[in-house]
Amino acid sequence: MGLVEFAAAKTLASSAVFLFITVLLMAAAKRTSTCIMLFGVQCAVITAQILAAAFVYHSREAYVVAAMVFVVKVLAIPYALLGIRKRLNVPGGVSASTTPAQSVYIAAGLILLAFLVVQPYVRALALDGEMLAAATAVLLTGAFLMVSRKKALMQVIGLLVLENGIFLAALTTTFGMPLVIEMGIFFDLLICVLLLGVFVFRIRDTFEHVDVSKLRRLRG
Amino acid sequence: MTLWLPLLLPLFGALVMLAFKNPRTAVRVALGIGVTEAALLGNCVVKLRAAGVLQEGRYLRGDGLTSFFLINLTLVFALVLAYSVGYLRHVPKGRFSSPRWFYALVFLFLFTMLAVYLSANLGMMWIAIEATTLASALLVGFYNTQGAVEAGWKYLIVCTVGIAFALFGTIALYLAAVRGGVPAEMALDWAVLMDAAPQMSAARELLKLAFVFVAVGYGTKIGFVPMHSWLPDAHAEAPSPISALLSAALLNCALYALLRVEAITSRAIGHGFSHTLLLAFGGLSVLTAAFLMIVQRDLKRLLAYSSIEHMGIVALGVGLGGTLGLYGALLHAFNHSLAKTLLFFTTGNIREAFGTLRMDRIRGMARALPYTSAVLVAGGLAVAGMPPFGLFVSEFIILTSAFTQARYLVATLILAAISIAFGARLYHCQRMLSGEAKQLSARPKAPISEIAAMCVCGACLLVLGLCIPAAFTAVLRNAMAVLQ
Repeated sequence: MGLVEFAAAKTLASSAVFLFITVLLMAAAKRTSTCIMLFGVQCAVITAQILAAAFVYHSREAYVVAAMVFVVKVLAIPYALLGIRKRLNVPGGVSASTTPAQSVYIAAGLILLAFLVVQPYVRALALDGEMLAAATAVLLTGAFLMVSRKKALMQVIGLLVLENGIFLAALTTTFGMPLVIEMGIFFDLLICVLLLGVFVFRIRDTFEHVDVSKLRRLRG
Repeated sequence: MTLWLPLLLPLFGALVMLAFKNPRTAVRVALGIGVTEAALLGNCVVKLRAAGVLQEGRYLRGDGLTSFFLINLTLVFALVLAYSVGYLRHVPKGRFSSPRWFYALVFLFLFTMLAVYLSANLGMMWIAIEATTLASALLVGFYNTQGAVEAGWKYLIVCTVGIAFALFGTIALYLAAVRGGVPAEMALDWAVLMDAAPQMSAARELLKLAFVFVAVGYGTKIGFVPMHSWLPDAHAEAPSPISALLSAALLNCALYALLRVEAITSRAIGHGFSHTLLLAFGGLSVLTAAFLMIVQRDLKRLLAYSSIEHMGIVALGVGLGGTLGLYGALLHAFNHSLAKTLLFFTTGNIREAFGTLRMDRIRGMARALPYTSAVLVAGGLAVAGMPPFGLFVSEFIILTSAFTQARYLVATLILAAISIAFGARLYHCQRMLSGEAKQLSARPKAPISEIAAMCVCGACLLVLGLCIPAAFTAVLRNAMAVLQ
């Protein structure tokens, strides 16, 4: 067995574990910038996984998707988010409503939950159980980050992590959607992050803070 | 070119608009593009009616259902464009709040909604729906006040998360289709899926999962309770023409996407599951919205909750199913969009006269603004489902369908909700209309374009209430034939 084949097989076998690690670290992170970096790392793991799959299944489309993930999610989005964070010029904490220890326990619980909920589908459809569980765990953690972090920027990161989970689910169940659709989704995601960035600045300028839990004027 | 041209013109228009810095020229150019676009869309509808189905390339397709919703969108868009000409005088000067930005964003919004209706592919449709959120978020936050920024942020976050669930559902549907033997590159085309639906029946659980996620996802955009939290904020904080577009065009756009997926799932695994889910969402929306209407303070929020209520009634109609239920639901969606357009148009005048839309601060409107008040009352009666307006007919059809199927719970729910909502609207209206107005911040002179737009709305509602034209019934029949 050649070295590349070996590496590809190892990557495919172990990427779920790496995804679990990024999820747990994100829950523990105290600073927004750490979270942004971790998001980049998570996307790098996904890139590696797609590359490995592309190599194993000889799929040219998958190479294109891997390149897009790398450019958009590993480079462009984290770079833009770090830039926004710097220009916002506000304290760097994530303003969590749970302590880091509690967050890690919750994230671990979500991983267990993910394993439980995917079981029936894994059996019925003969899918890779670990990867599907990882996708679900990433999705759930994204949602958890969104509800428990008060900084506007953290909500954006939560949203991106949630989207990563859905992307992973598509990857493991159907080996990705048709290329045109994937490109459209990436385009939407990029525009969405840009717009959210615009709104983060507008929140800061009109409210003089970026704590979304204090946006409570409109209710009922 | 019948489908490509009307789709691409608004995109082109959005880019062109940015070049016109002079407000007057910008408005004129926008009107020119709008008229051309309406003509192109009209041509598209006529061709669709003659041909039944049109396919252009791999990604554009239209059929009876498309044609019905295209008529709706064209009408609402034309009215909003006519109304906006006069309305822009309300908009304060700011960096991005000039007419050219307004119209550029409106055309972009129109482009994304047309893309939803014309795409042949469920993946493309998802992309377009997400794009509608992106295009309209800046319009919701157009005034750049605290409220507008908060509403825009909430709209963007809530809808993006909701729509992400719909993507998950779409993927599950794709998986079911691929496992059912549909070639992977065609497994997202709705026409192919409709034909192949019986082959997919083996993956029963997967299809159920797909439909739940799609219903939650697109339901967020339709405004089903409990995913509705963005809707009142966005409707209340956006400029009035945009509120009308959101309520009358955008909600129907998401409804269209949901109907497509619903038709496929129903054909594959029977309609029991999807209809039950729609009934649940519809019932919850109708009841919650009716009660929340009582406690509202802002006029536009009241109207927004009324939108939730009516989309709930539409969901109940689709959930009841059968020829009658579906007919009522589609007709109701159409009627609702006209009535809501009319009502949101009146709010612009009221805000100008009283400087606020807080209903407890508005007094003596009947004397101060007699014509606006008359339109508000007429529109209020129309959305309450009173004859002789169109909503009476469609609500009556849905109720008839509920009674003939012996679904007395659903019928009671609709009747209760309509009565509560009517009471709430009456209570708020009489408080605003009666009494003596303290002082008006301005005495608005509605330009002829606004009056004309409102008259067209009212006339359409009356026509649909008194005698539905045969041509329109044919369009409805074609739309229903696609879904059944």
